[in-house]
Amino acid sequence: MTDRPALDATPLHAKHYADGAAFVSAPIVENVRLARDTYRLRFEAPAIAATITPGQFVMVRLAGIDDPLLGRAFALYDVSDDRAAVDVVYLAHGKLTTALASRQPGDRVEVWGPLGNGFDGDEREIDALLLVAGGIGYTPFLACGAEALGLKEYGLVGGVSDADDASPPQKTTRPRLAAKSVTFCYGVRTLDYLAGADAFRAAGIDLRIASNDGSVGHHGLVTDLLTQALEESSDRRRRVLCCGPEPMMEAVAEICLAEQVRCDVSLETPMACGLGICFSCVAKVKQPDGEWDYKRTCVDGPIFDASQIEW
Amino acid sequence: MPHGPEAPSPTAPTDVDLSVTLGRLQLPNPVLVASGTFGYARELASLVDLSRLGGILPKTVTATPRQGNAPWRTVETTGGMLNAIGLDNDGVDAFIECHVPYLASVGCPIIASVAGKTREEFVELVRRFDAVDAAHRPAAIELNVSCPNVSGGVDFGSDPALCEAVVRDCVAASDLPIIAKLTPNVTSIATMAKAAEAGGADALSLINTVLGMAIDWRKRRPLLANVVGGLSGPAIKPIALRCVWQASQAVRAPIIGVGGIANINDAMEFLVAGASAVQLGTVNFYHPTASMEVLDALPAALAEIGATSVSAIVGSLNH
Repeated sequence: MTDRPALDATPLHAKHYADGAAFVSAPIVENVRLARDTYRLRFEAPAIAATITPGQFVMVRLAGIDDPLLGRAFALYDVSDDRAAVDVVYLAHGKLTTALASRQPGDRVEVWGPLGNGFDGDEREIDALLLVAGGIGYTPFLACGAEALGLKEYGLVGGVSDADDASPPQKTTRPRLAAKSVTFCYGVRTLDYLAGADAFRAAGIDLRIASNDGSVGHHGLVTDLLTQALEESSDRRRRVLCCGPEPMMEAVAEICLAEQVRCDVSLETPMACGLGICFSCVAKVKQPDGEWDYKRTCVDGPIFDASQIEW
Repeated sequence: MPHGPEAPSPTAPTDVDLSVTLGRLQLPNPVLVASGTFGYARELASLVDLSRLGGILPKTVTATPRQGNAPWRTVETTGGMLNAIGLDNDGVDAFIECHVPYLASVGCPIIASVAGKTREEFVELVRRFDAVDAAHRPAAIELNVSCPNVSGGVDFGSDPALCEAVVRDCVAASDLPIIAKLTPNVTSIATMAKAAEAGGADALSLINTVLGMAIDWRKRRPLLANVVGGLSGPAIKPIALRCVWQASQAVRAPIIGVGGIANINDAMEFLVAGASAVQLGTVNFYHPTASMEVLDALPAALAEIGATSVSAIVGSLNH
């Protein structure tokens, strides 16, 4: 399996095949409620925990049953301090996530990952990293913000999962996001859906909240918070990362385009496999010729430069 | 009444012959992966030892690039899923340039899946693969005369005369073995199987997806942008099994069973029903290592019923 032609550079191939992925049956370590209908699932999967990076995702499936049949995609929320377990946060609102909410420690899930590209680093340090999320779209940003501030590193490989492996841990060559400050503009429906606020504050992230009904933070849109954060940082090198409902991401992309600030979005399109084999999760992505083409979010994303998306 | 073979002689799993013959096509084992459920194989290189597979059927290729249908393209249903991808692919030229070199290097038989809008387009596609140099040429071609998500696709699979004609044209146009993949969305699968056999097909793949639909009643909208789509997964296994059995009673051409096969028991059921090989499909989406697990379990399963070869149990149903 070693002397195959190196064809991945051709434009017809996707950019991010799941070459580092493992498929594992993972015991649940914790499954705790964070907010209304919102839970953090921790499962033991050293092979995934050792390599996954912020913005990447895993597919999770309930082991041993055919209904629900397919896995669901969940962004990396965090990796446990002992690098043995992966955390994801989910909203219990569908068939799988509702069933998942009643699973107990020791129960098993089937998991495959890491998948997708993750947030792209930059050659030079950013002064102000601005994160924008709506609802459950907040989940990729704890790991992302913590890493950007130098508090935690993800994606150490080698010597982690296998006790007999004598090779020392190595850092991946992935360029990491690094920023002097991280501001997180977080929009929620209502106060009772607000999840993870303490974790973000503990990581030194400047957390700003908006809610639809004014029950917490700014009474209005999360884009109001972004506009203000952009004004405050107008003399600094900035970058925006965004995840949430599509109309919100489109609005954020428009604001960033007008401000000439690079904006990356994490797309959540319905996905059956996460691996690039089902062609379900396509999004309209602009091509070099100016036309758009359907690209698989799982193996060409899920993180895209917002200016490349045909909304 | 059904009854098992009397006192099966214990067979050591290592003595089992896994090779299968489908007309002019020889395969090292009967565990294949179905077109449209395995991408172009490169996607799964880290999770599956591709070289061990009995065969890979890459995603169906068409004469010209197709953007495919708008999202949503798939929706989960009870024990299965509906899809209406719409044959999203970059066309045969790009396939031969971009994917064939990789596929030819993986070390297992490659069966190219093609779909044409017309008889002429099917023939042209078959000729394109026939003209590929020997080192890269696929082992066989599967004619997707049964895609439910493109107009024109199903006519070849539901009109016996059209089906026979397109198979005959393709067999005449190439030295490669030709497989016809049939749809279950017909009144008589036996009639369609006979038509494909009469056209000279080396083998028949049964079944493609079952036409279905899903609705959000609150919004009063279909969940698929294409409104209807093809049902696959464990939910359709009994239908596929029935089709394989009925077709195997009607034709002598070897049959490749496909439809909801997810584990060794499913695979064995299809072999006993009359399939000479199987394709794993939707399971690749939710259990990507399933093909390896079925392959690993196959020798012991055959040995358990006293068989020393795959062919010994094909169509061995007692009824």
